[in-house]
Order: sequence, then structure tokens, then C-alpha cells
Amino acid sequence: MNLSSVIVLLGVAADGWLLAFLAIRGRRPWLQSTFAACALSFLVVGAWSAARNEGVLPAVREDLVLGLMLLTHALTAILVLGLIHGEALPRRRAMTFLLLVPVPLLAYLAPIEGWTVATAYEGTVLGGFLVLCLGIALGETIFARHASPMFATHAFWLSVGVIALIVAGPIYTYELEFLGRSPLAGANLAAPLALACFARVALQTDPFPIAPRRPKGRTTTGGIRGADAIVFDERRPKYALRTAEEEAGSDRPTLIVARDPPKVTTSGVASASFAPNRHAALRTVTTVSEFLASAPGGFVVLEDLADLSVLSGWRAAGEVAVRLRHVARDSGSTVILCPSRLTESERKTLQGLDLPWWPMADAATEIVAILAQSFGTGAGRLFDSFCRGHGIRREDVTTDHVQALQDFLSRALTELSGVVGGPAAHGLQVQFEAASSVLRSFAAQGAVEIARGKWPSRRSSETDVELVVTAADYWKGKEMEELFAAADAVSEREPLFEKARLVFVEQLGDAGEGVLRTQLAKIGKKPEEIDKTDLVRIADRATVDLGSLADVVDVPQEKKRIQQQIESIRQKLELIAEGQE
Amino acid sequence: MDGRLRALAIRSLFLFLLSLVLVAGFWYHREFYQIGFTNLLIIGGFVTFLVIWAARLAMTGELPRGRPSGELAFTLDEGDRLLKRVARSVVRPSEDLTAPSVGHVVRAKYETGTEFARLLIEDARRTFLSDLTDDDARQAGFRSAADLREAGTSRWSWRPADIVTILRVRALGGSR
Repeated sequence: MNLSSVIVLLGVAADGWLLAFLAIRGRRPWLQSTFAACALSFLVVGAWSAARNEGVLPAVREDLVLGLMLLTHALTAILVLGLIHGEALPRRRAMTFLLLVPVPLLAYLAPIEGWTVATAYEGTVLGGFLVLCLGIALGETIFARHASPMFATHAFWLSVGVIALIVAGPIYTYELEFLGRSPLAGANLAAPLALACFARVALQTDPFPIAPRRPKGRTTTGGIRGADAIVFDERRPKYALRTAEEEAGSDRPTLIVARDPPKVTTSGVASASFAPNRHAALRTVTTVSEFLASAPGGFVVLEDLADLSVLSGWRAAGEVAVRLRHVARDSGSTVILCPSRLTESERKTLQGLDLPWWPMADAATEIVAILAQSFGTGAGRLFDSFCRGHGIRREDVTTDHVQALQDFLSRALTELSGVVGGPAAHGLQVQFEAASSVLRSFAAQGAVEIARGKWPSRRSSETDVELVVTAADYWKGKEMEELFAAADAVSEREPLFEKARLVFVEQLGDAGEGVLRTQLAKIGKKPEEIDKTDLVRIADRATVDLGSLADVVDVPQEKKRIQQQIESIRQKLELIAEGQE
Repeated sequence: MDGRLRALAIRSLFLFLLSLVLVAGFWYHREFYQIGFTNLLIIGGFVTFLVIWAARLAMTGELPRGRPSGELAFTLDEGDRLLKRVARSVVRPSEDLTAPSVGHVVRAKYETGTEFARLLIEDARRTFLSDLTDDDARQAGFRSAADLREAGTSRWSWRPADIVTILRVRALGGSR
């Protein structure tokens, strides 16, 4: 067996290994299929070439082998286009497959025109097509390297692969002909190197794992129907996540892409979390596009654009926004971008992209504004009492806390009933009901209504300008001071079980209450009996129990998520216990 | 073995293998190059140029991660904590931060301007200053989040609403 046959056979083995490797590791069926077809065609041509050189196989029809050789070149171009335009949806994918159309025609014409495998790269239509395929692949990689900050590194490896194919294909054939040697009859010695480069790029741009997977197919449209990328301008992504839950609730395919796994897995919402590497931006694009390709009309929230900026650089993160806009429009879907934690310059650049920009209200600010309409300037004090009582930070308050706030105010008024009577008590009750009504209507507003900008904080400032004395100011007297004192007392006496329950439910969802009751049963206490020392015990026991749960989880991201939940529960319970001292 | 010696050995080995490939290539194509001086000059010259270029990058430590971009300034204490691997992360205000993205190398300098290390950025994330945890602070070489905030407040006039970037870094050896 001569040296070239050995090298070709080694290459064939490498092709087979790469094919199997990507088939096992990849998460993009379309791309994997294209890669498999490309690798298989190289593999078959290589095996045939070696077998023919060694005289092992009987003669095979030349036009069949020529057809396979055409296939290797066309599929190389298709594969490279697929890797660069990975977010392309099926409609665009189909366009790249038009490159396959000339293949059977040229294979059919080969015997008529006298084209052979050995003379494939000569100046004929056949040679022109082969060079055109490699030229398209090389041209796209060069363009991507210069035009796309996000794809530049990957374009380098793609160009290495394509140049290797060109050197070992047409150029090497020319050299062998020049030296009067017989060419390798279709086999390309650089095929394993090229396939390795393509596989590297395919794996580095693979989508993040999405869990849970939902059945494919278009489903109902939700409240936000715009097929576009929309920026939800809020300090922390609260409305974005709430809207995702609402859209999932209306049976719309919904995905949240974030740095960390979600604290609570909401039913119907799929999630994907970033791997902390420089390819995070591109992988985010492929994740979203693959999701929307399987679920057109879906809803996606990109929660941590700022983290993409520090992982992959802002230019790449900005390109993510642009590409996701195209994906959203092509698939009739909605993509929400959260600019939380972007720097000023990054925000300006994002605004320069002319994406729909929806300003979102801050729940804490609006709640204080609503309370101020009824209770005057002491609203902040009331709100702080509520936050202290529930062990939550002001910035963590969402509209989900409105019901708890109403209960809290109601208890404060009940406390006051023994102290304040007559018209003052009646007035407070009226104010409470007015505040509750506005709070409820505010909490019921979705992102679309909030984006219109009619926020309580804006309305109250306008009202203050128009009226010299407001109703709130009228009541800002002794009764108010008593209400604030009562609220402080309520925050101190709020049942510890309720506070602990909120902490567990916040971190673990509805199952959290069950976990808390299990812990209570273990320490032999009833909900109404627990005191601050019990809270510390519960915090310790929950840390141990949930910690052992985290230990048996094999998925690193899930393990990290559970550990974060445990830590958060422990810290908040300790905070509540400290507040009782 | 000292880290720098090991890096030098690996780079030299890489360079040697590259040279072997180059010689093997010339030997394999010896008949092709016999056809004329011009071919040898152009192709051989180009390949040799690439080898010299790669060698330069390898010997200056710029392969495989490229040249360092950006720089971070440290106090003497901070720098020592990083070099002694007591600290593994760096917390900086996000505004005007000139650090590159993950996987790249950044120059670490003392505030006096002296470069003392090159740091590979292994991970990065942004967070509100108020969300910093004790664990974040310990990774950065501080006892608690409060200590870290206090240090940052005196240095950069931090406010709780500010955004900070946490970079997990690894020192790549001594100064060059």
C-alpha cells in the first residue's frame, strides 16, 4: 500500500470519528445533518480513491464518483453558510440547498462532456462549479471575519478549513499534474482538518441546553404580538419575567435566556443559561434561533444582555440584538431585551439601533406613589415597614407583593381600631380602600399598559402641582403617625411563619411551603409557635437537607442554582431572625 | 518547575515541532521546488515568514491567546493578593472599565504604572453593588461584602445603586 493511500485511509477514519462526534455532541439537527452529509461524502470519496489506487474494489462508474466529488464541494459551501448564518430559519436554509441543484446535472453531463475525476479541476464548467463552491465558502468566511465581531474568531477557523481544502484540492492536483504524477482521484487530504475546523465551530456555537423542551409547532399568540425585538427599559428585569410567565400562561412557547438558571421553574416557561465563555453571545443567538425555528411565533426574554457584554464584548452583544431582531421578524416572534446593568455608553448604542423601547415602571416607586396619594409623605415609611416585616429589599419588590402589602395595611388598620375611632378611623379606612383599589389596578396592568407611561408616580406629581392641599395632606396628622406606629408594630408582630413561608415560596415556588412545613414538623413546632430561634434552626436544617439534594444533582448549572437558593433562604431567614431582636 | 520555565519549555517545543513540519514539507515537495528558483523563493519564503511570525508570537507569550488588551490598576495590597492567589477575582466599576472580554489577557499594573502580571480573564459578570455577596467579596480578597463596599467607596465613591463588574482572573506568570 502506498503512502498516499495510507494517508487517505487515515483521513477517512478521522472523518468517520468527527461525524460520530458531532452527531453525539451537537444540538442542531439541521446543522448536524449537513455536517454528516458533508463528512460522509468526503469519507466515501476518500475510501473509493484509496480502494481504486490499491485495486481492491472493482471499477466503479466514473460519473458516480464525480457526482460524489461535486457533492463534497457543494455540501462544504452549504455547511459553511449554515455555520455562519446559524440563526437562519428553515426558509433561508432551503435557499442554501439550491447549491445542490447543479450536482445531478453536472454528473449527468460528465460522460457526455468527457469530464473525469482526474481532470475535475480543469477549466471546464465542472471545474468552475467546484471552484465556485469553495470560493463561496471562503468569501463568506472572509466577509464574516470582517463584518461580524461576534463571529470573527469562528470565521478564522472556517477559513483555515476552506483554505486547507483549496490547497489540498485544486492546488495539490495542479502540483501533481505539474510533476507528471497521477492525482488522488477525488480524495482531499485536508478533509479531516477542514471537518475538524467545521466541527470546532459547530460545537463552539452550539445552543445552550433548553429545559423543559416543549412540543414543536405554532401555538396561540399572547398579549404582545409584535414580531420584533423590544427593549424593556427597567432597572431590574421584573416586567420582562412577569410578561414571560403571562405569555407562557396563554400557551405561547416561551424561553428565558439568562446568566443563571431561574430561581423558580415556572410551568410552561423554558429556560437556558449562559456558559461563562467568550462564545456566549453567538451561542445565545443560536439558542434563540433554534428555539424559534421549532416554535415560530414564540416569546423570548434575553435577561442578561449586560453579562453578554462582559463575556463576549459589547460589540458582540450589540450584534446579538440586531440578529435577534431579524430572527424575531422572520419567525413572527417577540424577543424582549433587558438593558439592566448596561453602562451609559452601551445604553446609548442600544438606543441607536432603533429598537422599540418600552420604559417600564419600578414597582417600589409606584407603590410608594400610590400610598402617598392616600397617606401622604409617610408612604415611604409605611412601605419600609412592610419590606422590613417581610425580609425583602425595596429593589426586590414586584407587583406580586401587592396582595401581601394590602394584607399588611389591613392588619395595621386593625391594630389601630382600638386606638383611633370615629371619623378618623372611618377616614383611614376610606384611604386604605382607595389605596388598595389603585394598588390592585396597578398590579393588574401588563407590560403593554405600563409602557404607555401612565404611572401613578407621574400622575401624583401632576396632581400635586394642580392642588394646593391634597386629601393625603389633610389626613397627615395624628392619625397618620398612629398608623405608621401600628405598621411598625405589625411588621414586628407579623407571624414569623408567614415571613418564612414567603421566603421559601420566593425561592422554591409553591413547593416551598411544603418544604417549610416539613422542617417545622421535624422540629416539632406548629406555625403559630415558631420564634426567632426556630427560624435559625429551620435555616440550618434547610441548608443541610437542600444541600444533600444539591449533592445528588449531576448537572453543574442545576447544582449551582440549588446552592444559590439555599444560600438565599438562609440569609433571608437570618435577616428576619435578626429583625426580631 | 517554575511557571515561567514551564511556559518557556512548552513554547519552545511548539516552535521545534513547527520547524520539523516546515522541513518535512520542503522535503516532501522537493521535486516541486526543483522546478525553479522563483517557486522556492515565493512559496518557501512565505512559509518561512509564517513560521517566524508564529515563533515571535509564541516566544512573547501571545499564542494562543493573543496580545494583552486593556489594563487594570491595582493597589500594592490588591496586586499581592492576586499574585499570592489569595484573591481570584477583581471588582471594578463597570463605567469606563477597559478590560477585554473573557478568554483574553489583560495587563495588571500597580497604580504607579509598573506592570506586575498578565491576567487571563476566566469569567466576568455584572451586578449591582447592593447585590454583592460575602462570597463575591471573599473571592476578591476581602472579608465581607461590607469591607469590599467600604474599600470601593473610598476609592471610587461607590453608591449602592452603582453597577460593578466582577472579573475572575488567573495570573499567567511574572512580568515581562
